[in-house]
Amino acid sequence: MNDTASTTLAQRNKASTKALFVWTLAWLLSLALLAFGPKLLWNFSVTISLAVIAVNLVFGYCMIITNKKYLDGLDELQRQLHMNAMAISLGVSVVFGAIYGLLEPARLLDSTPSPSNILFVMGISYFISLVINFRKYQ
Amino acid sequence: MKNRLKVLRAERNWTQSDLAKALDVSRQTINAIENEKFDPSLPLAFRAAKIFALPIEQIFDDGE
Repeated sequence: MNDTASTTLAQRNKASTKALFVWTLAWLLSLALLAFGPKLLWNFSVTISLAVIAVNLVFGYCMIITNKKYLDGLDELQRQLHMNAMAISLGVSVVFGAIYGLLEPARLLDSTPSPSNILFVMGISYFISLVINFRKYQ
Repeated sequence: MKNRLKVLRAERNWTQSDLAKALDVSRQTINAIENEKFDPSLPLAFRAAKIFALPIEQIFDDGE
């Protein structure tokens, strides 16, 4: 149940968006630290790398829970728009990921496919779908 | 789903934002319901009925 007695929808959305931004930023920074730290900061120390991985997983968990709370705090139309965007994003990512994985064996791509490209497609398709959906109900 | 939200709102001189605040939804949601682009959930329909002090069937009509 939403805490509708004390706060308005706009106030709840603002607070949950801020929390989501903070945890997403923390997760991204810890990911960047893990990407560049071993070579640039701690000379591939396994202990430090494992500690940063643990921090990244904790931040990731917090980001996921905050995202769920964010969605729970939306009203029903907003939730439906996000759900539609997620459906489109998941579908596009599956189709793109399947084809992308076959590009190298088919010798249409020289480099090994990187999973981060699929995350990029997922994010972009989610954003575009969300914008189109919101405009439709404006 | 057909509804009388717009009429009932106008009778009370409420804006979409006023009604949205009273129902704890976004103005976009009120607009979508009034334009029959989005059907409200049962809890939201009950909240609307309570605010307008009318039975649900006098606000929403499924057309059957």
